[in-house]
Amino acid sequence: MARPTRRVHEQEEAGLRKKRKRISKIPTGIVGLDKVLDGGLPAERMTLVGGGPGSGKSIIGLQWLLAGADTGEPGILVLFEERVASVRQNASGLGWDLAQLEQKGLLCLLDARISPEAVVSGDFSIKGLLAIIGQKAKAMRARRIVIDAVDALLYLYDSPMRERHELYTLHEWLLDQKLTTMMTVKTVPQEESPRYAFLDFMADCVIHVDQRVTQQITTRRLRVVKYRGSGYGRNEYPFVISQDGINVIPITSNVLQHRPLGSKVSSGQAGLDVVLAGGFRRGASTLILGIAGSGKTTLACIFAQAAGRRGERVLYLNFEESAESMVGNMLSPGLALGPLIKRGTLVVRSYLPEAMGVEEHLFHALKALDELQPQHVVVDAISACKRMGSEQAAFEYLMRLLNDCRERGITCFYLNQATSLDIVAEISGIGISSIIDTVVLLRYLQVGHAMKRQLLVMKSRGSKHSDLFHEFHITDRGIELEKT
Amino acid sequence: MTSRSREKRRTAPAGGKTYAFQLFVAGNESNSTQARDNLARLCREYLTGRHEITIVDVLKDAATAYTHHVLVTPTLILIKPLPKVLLLGNLSDTRHVLAALRLIGGKQ
Repeated sequence: MARPTRRVHEQEEAGLRKKRKRISKIPTGIVGLDKVLDGGLPAERMTLVGGGPGSGKSIIGLQWLLAGADTGEPGILVLFEERVASVRQNASGLGWDLAQLEQKGLLCLLDARISPEAVVSGDFSIKGLLAIIGQKAKAMRARRIVIDAVDALLYLYDSPMRERHELYTLHEWLLDQKLTTMMTVKTVPQEESPRYAFLDFMADCVIHVDQRVTQQITTRRLRVVKYRGSGYGRNEYPFVISQDGINVIPITSNVLQHRPLGSKVSSGQAGLDVVLAGGFRRGASTLILGIAGSGKTTLACIFAQAAGRRGERVLYLNFEESAESMVGNMLSPGLALGPLIKRGTLVVRSYLPEAMGVEEHLFHALKALDELQPQHVVVDAISACKRMGSEQAAFEYLMRLLNDCRERGITCFYLNQATSLDIVAEISGIGISSIIDTVVLLRYLQVGHAMKRQLLVMKSRGSKHSDLFHEFHITDRGIELEKT
Repeated sequence: MTSRSREKRRTAPAGGKTYAFQLFVAGNESNSTQARDNLARLCREYLTGRHEITIVDVLKDAATAYTHHVLVTPTLILIKPLPKVLLLGNLSDTRHVLAALRLIGGKQ
């Protein structure tokens, strides 16, 4: 079934690619952004990057120039606002040695700040600048150019007409020179300025970036507004500025490329394996739901221990407690996690959910998947992810992580802390239940004077499973299921 | 290297300080032509016999424009006497220009 569908998708994709062949593109060097732009910036055309102060537009430009320098293609950065020295300094904070590239002739930082002491008397044009750029480009054989903060130049003109005319001249000149250009411009959110509207019309590709604060958490978003002659991702995409520059995280790719579920893998608990008809399936996603103290973490750690013994790696994303406290707490049910951590089969990453925005959390999680190549991932607990900003933020984080795990064939455990005893109502788990393969419910039940723990496998896609409530105990030898 | 693009006009100094100007133009575009004319007229009227003008055409000599950080044309730089003055535009506002060049008292 799966194969023909996939082939159809591939044919469609190939068809689309063929149609788009007309436009030649230059990769931005930012992997996620290239995906959104379906390959990169339009070659020998102008791309406009608009955004407020601190939105990251200059870094996008610089990163694109560096990507060029990496392949031996020189580039020019024209600075209308920032000092050359401070750009060098800021770049070194991202680990980029601009001075070295300048010496090699792969990069030219052009100071285009107009002296504040200059006196204006009568009309003028930017021909001097064009002559300088032209000469530099020729001498360096530069094909790409970033014009940073063009708005600073426009302030010199007191008439919108003149402003437009100069921009038009600049644009025409850049096209004549066959330079691929990225122009950044400051925009003020919620303010429709004709200046920028004009720029949007002029450019072949327009990207807007912004930085916003929702419930005290800052997030960065990027959107492609237009792209003449090309398809592009039309959503808003979160991005982060990390130690190595911009990282764009496209939330979804057009085609689901989930791997089929794999063979059974033991839960680490013989009784539970019976209930699950052999265990969890590899590459499946499991939701473990229960109120505090119901044994969710214990269940996940038992799995992690068993995986470690098989020589498989588990990435444990903990939003509730530190690795040390988790190791300490798990000694009580007889789990020795310390040695697993030491051997690297269990990697615990603890984060405070509210410490970063959702895209930064995602960035760290996806980077860990790349670096550690784990077979299994545990998220403890998805209920805490709401503190990344909102329910929507948590949903984005969990969906994207799940999607990536699916594509990589990673088994995923999402622990969800229910807030009431009526946990069946909370089964949805931030709206992700439909893509969850297996749901394990843990609950307490009052029987006479005692509280009994019960476990129910509510669903297990692609597998037989018991549909009974199984009583269980947490002992110093882990979890023990009562025979039914 | 710049002989093609520069034309020097020199007049013998006759009393007062000599004013040395560098005027950056872009070929014969109208603003540049106007600036040339405006500067010439101004020198004739106010700096008779004590001015020195070097004209640089940025279209032919971008390197000099780069060295002097000239981004717009026309740009007039007063090199001597110090302090340096930087004037952008076709110099059409005579009073404004004279004030900036310290040839008449403060701006009005």
